[in-house]
Amino acid sequence: MNGKMTDLMNIVKEAEIIDDPAVIESFAHGYRGDVPMRPMFMVKPKNTDEVQKIVRWANETCTPLVPVSSGAPHLRGGTVPTAPGSVIVDLSGMDRIVKVDRRNRLALIEPGVTYTTLGPELKRHGLRIAMPLLPRKNKSVLTSLLEREPVVSPRYQWNMMEPLRALEIIWGNGDKFYSGGGVFRGEKEEDWKRGLVPVWGPGPGQLDFYKFVSAAQGSMGIVTWASVKCEVYPECRKLFFVPADRLEEAIEFVYLLLRYRFGDELFLMNKSCLAYVHARNADELESVKDTLPSWAVVVGITGGHILSKDRVEAREKDIRDIARGFGLKFIPQLRSLSGKEFGERIMRPCEEPYWKSRYSGEVQEVFFLTTLDRTPGFVAAMNEEADGLEYPAERIGVYLQPVHQGVGCHCEFIIPFDPDSRMDTRKTEELIRKSSLRLSDQGAFFSRPYGIWADMVYDRDAGTKTATKKIKEIFDPNNVMNPGKLCF
Amino acid sequence: MALPANVYKDLEDIVGSRNISGDPAVLDSYRYSLAHTAIHLGPFFDTFTPRGACVLLPGSTEEVRAIVELCNKHKIKFKASSTFWSAQGFPSEDDTIQLDMRRMDRILDIDKKNMFAVIEPGVIGATLQAEVMKVGLNTHIPGSGCSCSTLASATSYFGSGPSNLYGGWHYDNLLGLEWVMPTGEILRTGSLGQGCGWFCGEGPGPSMKGVARGFLGSKGSMGVYTKCAIKLFAWPGPECLPVEGTIPAYRTPLPDNFKAYTVAFPSWKAWADAAYAIWDAGIGYLAHRQFNMFGRDLKFAMVKILTDPTKTLSDLEELLADPEVQEITEQSKREFQIILVGMTKRDIEWQKKAFDEILERTGGWKVEAMDEPHIHDWVLLYMIRLGHKNLNLVFGGGYDGCFGLLGAADYGASNAEEAALFKKKWEKRGAIVDAGGDCMMGPIGGQGGGGTCLWENFTCFDSADRESTEGTFEFFDACTRFGLEKGWGVGMEKWNAVARGPDGKTTSKKKRDTIHLGSPQPSVFRYQHRVREAFNPNDLGDAYYETLDDT
Amino acid sequence: MALEDFALETDRCSQCSYCKWIPFDQMKSWRFAKNCPSVSYNNFNSYSARGRYAVSRSLIKKQIPYTDTVRHIVFSCMTCGSCDVSCKICRYNLYPLEMVRELKFKLVEDGQDLDEHRAVIESLKKEQNTMMQPKAVRGKWAEDLDVPRLFSQKAEILFHAGCRLSYDTEIQSSAVAAVQILQKAGLDVGIMGEREICCGGRIYSMGYRDEFARFAGENIAAWEKAGVKTVVTSCADGYHAFKRLYPEFGSRVEVLHTVELLHRLIMAKKLEFHSEVPMTVTYHDPCHLGRQGEPYVPWNGVEKKIKNQIIVYEPERPRYNGAFGVYDPPREILERIPGVRFLEMERIREYSWCCGAGGGVREAYPEYSGWTAAERIAEAKATGAEALVSACPWCERNFMDAVGDDSMKVFDIIDLVKLAM
Repeated sequence: MNGKMTDLMNIVKEAEIIDDPAVIESFAHGYRGDVPMRPMFMVKPKNTDEVQKIVRWANETCTPLVPVSSGAPHLRGGTVPTAPGSVIVDLSGMDRIVKVDRRNRLALIEPGVTYTTLGPELKRHGLRIAMPLLPRKNKSVLTSLLEREPVVSPRYQWNMMEPLRALEIIWGNGDKFYSGGGVFRGEKEEDWKRGLVPVWGPGPGQLDFYKFVSAAQGSMGIVTWASVKCEVYPECRKLFFVPADRLEEAIEFVYLLLRYRFGDELFLMNKSCLAYVHARNADELESVKDTLPSWAVVVGITGGHILSKDRVEAREKDIRDIARGFGLKFIPQLRSLSGKEFGERIMRPCEEPYWKSRYSGEVQEVFFLTTLDRTPGFVAAMNEEADGLEYPAERIGVYLQPVHQGVGCHCEFIIPFDPDSRMDTRKTEELIRKSSLRLSDQGAFFSRPYGIWADMVYDRDAGTKTATKKIKEIFDPNNVMNPGKLCF
Repeated sequence: MALPANVYKDLEDIVGSRNISGDPAVLDSYRYSLAHTAIHLGPFFDTFTPRGACVLLPGSTEEVRAIVELCNKHKIKFKASSTFWSAQGFPSEDDTIQLDMRRMDRILDIDKKNMFAVIEPGVIGATLQAEVMKVGLNTHIPGSGCSCSTLASATSYFGSGPSNLYGGWHYDNLLGLEWVMPTGEILRTGSLGQGCGWFCGEGPGPSMKGVARGFLGSKGSMGVYTKCAIKLFAWPGPECLPVEGTIPAYRTPLPDNFKAYTVAFPSWKAWADAAYAIWDAGIGYLAHRQFNMFGRDLKFAMVKILTDPTKTLSDLEELLADPEVQEITEQSKREFQIILVGMTKRDIEWQKKAFDEILERTGGWKVEAMDEPHIHDWVLLYMIRLGHKNLNLVFGGGYDGCFGLLGAADYGASNAEEAALFKKKWEKRGAIVDAGGDCMMGPIGGQGGGGTCLWENFTCFDSADRESTEGTFEFFDACTRFGLEKGWGVGMEKWNAVARGPDGKTTSKKKRDTIHLGSPQPSVFRYQHRVREAFNPNDLGDAYYETLDDT
Repeated sequence: MALEDFALETDRCSQCSYCKWIPFDQMKSWRFAKNCPSVSYNNFNSYSARGRYAVSRSLIKKQIPYTDTVRHIVFSCMTCGSCDVSCKICRYNLYPLEMVRELKFKLVEDGQDLDEHRAVIESLKKEQNTMMQPKAVRGKWAEDLDVPRLFSQKAEILFHAGCRLSYDTEIQSSAVAAVQILQKAGLDVGIMGEREICCGGRIYSMGYRDEFARFAGENIAAWEKAGVKTVVTSCADGYHAFKRLYPEFGSRVEVLHTVELLHRLIMAKKLEFHSEVPMTVTYHDPCHLGRQGEPYVPWNGVEKKIKNQIIVYEPERPRYNGAFGVYDPPREILERIPGVRFLEMERIREYSWCCGAGGGVREAYPEYSGWTAAERIAEAKATGAEALVSACPWCERNFMDAVGDDSMKVFDIIDLVKLAM
């Protein structure tokens, strides 16, 4: 036990401090060129006060902090310490669902709340949350939202921060702050009755504070609770597929659905991606894949709580007509893949093994934002890069998720590799590097710049880099929050 | 003080001699009266905002940048405005250089597929809407109406209006943004900065759009926004609004997939229940408590006047005496307007059924008089284009909102009647229009998808009448005291009073500090101070960007 | 009235800028959304009604001196009245057109008028026309017409040619045609020939109120002397002066624009078309026939307040918001002409864009006047029409001058009626 650890133990007496080498080592995996630094130890605060004390201590002692909320594995490297002597701040113990309010469709959650725990609780109140596609069971809801992970229901995304609303933030400088409508913390039941609830996300005031902690990989501060907007748990729900031989065929159909805001869940996948979702293990994969179309649009229809069946029926007929207009089929079953089952599956976190890792045991991802009409160009470019490196392009899963009600599109390439094969690993890393540069040159917007993407994006846009550094200087002047990430 | 000749010459070199003026007559047309509509800070009789040092009409981002750099060089304050609606767009310090952005009025792109438009500051809601309707899209028009700059609404103030519910408020709709920052450097947010297009304003990483605006914008105090992309939404109607009727009673007969209702409720609780149910069901294209701005007692009579080109305000008293008008007024006490729009026939049919179900569950009813074809089609046009905003000032040329209960539907609903009664008592004193106390208007759905409402209690007065103006001010003071007493906080009648005082100029630092220190979270203003220091080191804006020193 | 009488309005102007746009409900495009040539050309706020309220206020309060800029701001207004229409969409107690006229009167009374206008007035005093031409040749346009000359002869209907048609040889054939058509329809029509004098409408819009009053008095006296019951004119300026302004000076004659009379004759089947006019046309509403062509309603009332602070008038004040101008007769005539394909521009009727000839702007600021006309021609072209038809010689002349080498043809509606007969 080193001196710093003792100091911190004296400050946050209740918090659990862990220096178990096995735990510590688990954070020291390199990722996409990052040089991993073994953290000093891990601290598990139980409440906001402890978090604030930890951050203040870090400022006094110039100790780098790496906040972590989700369980392992940490795929994207945001929680890999890149500064020596870091302390992991594990927030998974702050896992209270503080409040669920049906009337205002709000839930107040701490960072340790996962989709696994939140879903059933919301359902109990007749609610659900717009989810990302099959998150890991131990994925922190708050982290996912803070990192602007796309959700499968673009129609509920009024802005890129949705459904995240008010936050309680401990900035890197140790200040406690409420963003949005967070000053209405809903601590008294009476306030909920009177409508004094943390329903606003933006602001308060003339700065948009929660945007400074978004996609920041913990580099600005630590969020200790958030209010999130929920949707009505549907009494009636159906899921359909629209198969297509070519991506372009499907895109025009999706555009019309987006325009009408039809489809409560709406996304596209290529054959491999569908197989990764559908197959339960690697053995099943190839056989499943053979039965699937090159591309499929996944369309969910839900019925809310008023005239639920009528709504589903009307939507189903409308979307079928629209599909027909494009010469496409709108079907509830794709060979062995049942819409009903698929629909149920995407309402929950992913069963183990994690779907993206089912093919070879490990996975790398390339993802960015673009517009849907430009995705065929990016798919072609990725395939070309894979071919050039003799990486089997047919393995690459493509997941296209319209965001912000269709204004943009999250384009994700899922690139499985065998971690035990040095060649596979090297080839994958090379593919990630080369394709990222090429896609970026081609107009892909790496809005969440993990690992090697950070230099790539900040070097392209000096204005944003300068502004971001100024903001960092204000909220984390001593650069204690996850140093080495982004442009810090 | 006139600008030094060399500075004037340098500015003239930037914009050209046709686009600069220092003539007092021109400058006086760029001053704002704090008597007629104080935009939440007064009103103050016979008070105008300070005369500018000169007015410039820049024509490009490069010109704006050069102006801002010159202002930094000479430490001269500047303030840009696009459509000059509201005091916030006018200087609060003497010798400020005013930028009139009206020459930068191009719609640079309409991306039909991805549903956004790229615009310059001079583009107003009406022109943008007219253009995007041609490709089956619509744009959100904020409460300030379609005469106002879309970019200004999205970047610099609030951006909320009747179509928040489906169209999103402009906070939601602001995508990529080009910003000439107070130093003259240019920031392009999100995908724009990466050269990837205008579709996303956030990132990379932490979003610097959050510096440009928060819940509110910087009200012209932090540089100049020169271009932005605005998210659009579906318009399943004709490419051009078919307009019939005689001015001003224009109306638009739209196809059967459009339906406007005025619905009323037996209690505020039921009113709020309906709002929540509408949001839960996900129905509605526009929803606003609109015509109540004329007052609970006057609204239907006003609708009769506005829908009949032969009538004027002089017919008001006769209409109010009409038993039929009285009956309709009585049945529509707690009402709002909603427009349902179906993307398909099945969609509108389902929405109508669901809405009927909501009325059934909440005990609400449709005000049938508002369903008369000529009124129905007038409501459609009024709400969709929002081209009658200036009816705010119809009575006596002066209006402002008070209380402005902002939050969840239950918040306003549980306090509305009390706010109305308070105003009703003051109406009897004579300074303000006697309209029934409840003149509250605002969106049913303060943000995309609903969830919040705004209850702005309209107060109308005669801006040219000292007694009326000063009596109104007295009433607003009383509103503030009452709001604080009730725990509602300072109402919107004073929202901008922190920045500008009765002389039209910046309030004293002491007063501002007192207000900011008394806010629920003073650190908001401390952080804004730090941001101003970092991004506007020469402090060339004004106090509309609200700050609190660290000390 | 005096400018000071508008002091309350200067405080009640909402500064909303509606005066810069056509009624928002009627907007069909970005390109043709503006209504005010003055602010569209000069851009500064001061060139809109909103700005002119501010300038008026500053002058009343003596906060600004007279400068060339003030004169430019005031005399750049064409008094086309489009601001007035848009303002009154929402306001029942502002009268911006009356205010800007009063502003012009004030400048003229204070000796702040423009040299270009003064030259017109000097000539007018001598020659009784605004064309700066000799009085003696005023009746030349009708020398081949067999039509009674008042006063020596009698007629029930007086056709008043107006200054422009009397002297503009390139377009005066429409005056000849008008008289011939009315005669052919069996009407008892006469002219005053060289005895005709200016209506005064154009100098009124330049700000010369007293001169206008003199001409109004002389014309009314002449009509009484001649026993005229109806005055018909093809000039929208003249129509407006006779119909809206003269009643205040005691005129009691019926006033008709030629299109109104032709329309009556067509509806009564007293006028029929026999020839095809294969042409795609669009129609320009002259400001003084359209939005300013509403009937005069006498009013001599006062402001009062109801409901504490609602401003109304006792008795009810005429609104003059363009609702009931002369819009349909010319359209119905065009639609009845065989072969004519009629297309509408975007800015029509009460929210029509001005031709650019009004308010003394043509005389003082020819480049700006030409730009205003060119804007309208661009709008006409956007419809796909080959001809721009109007019902006012001032519009016609301004369009013809602005067309240049452009392919757009310009007609007075009477020319087409004549072709179709």
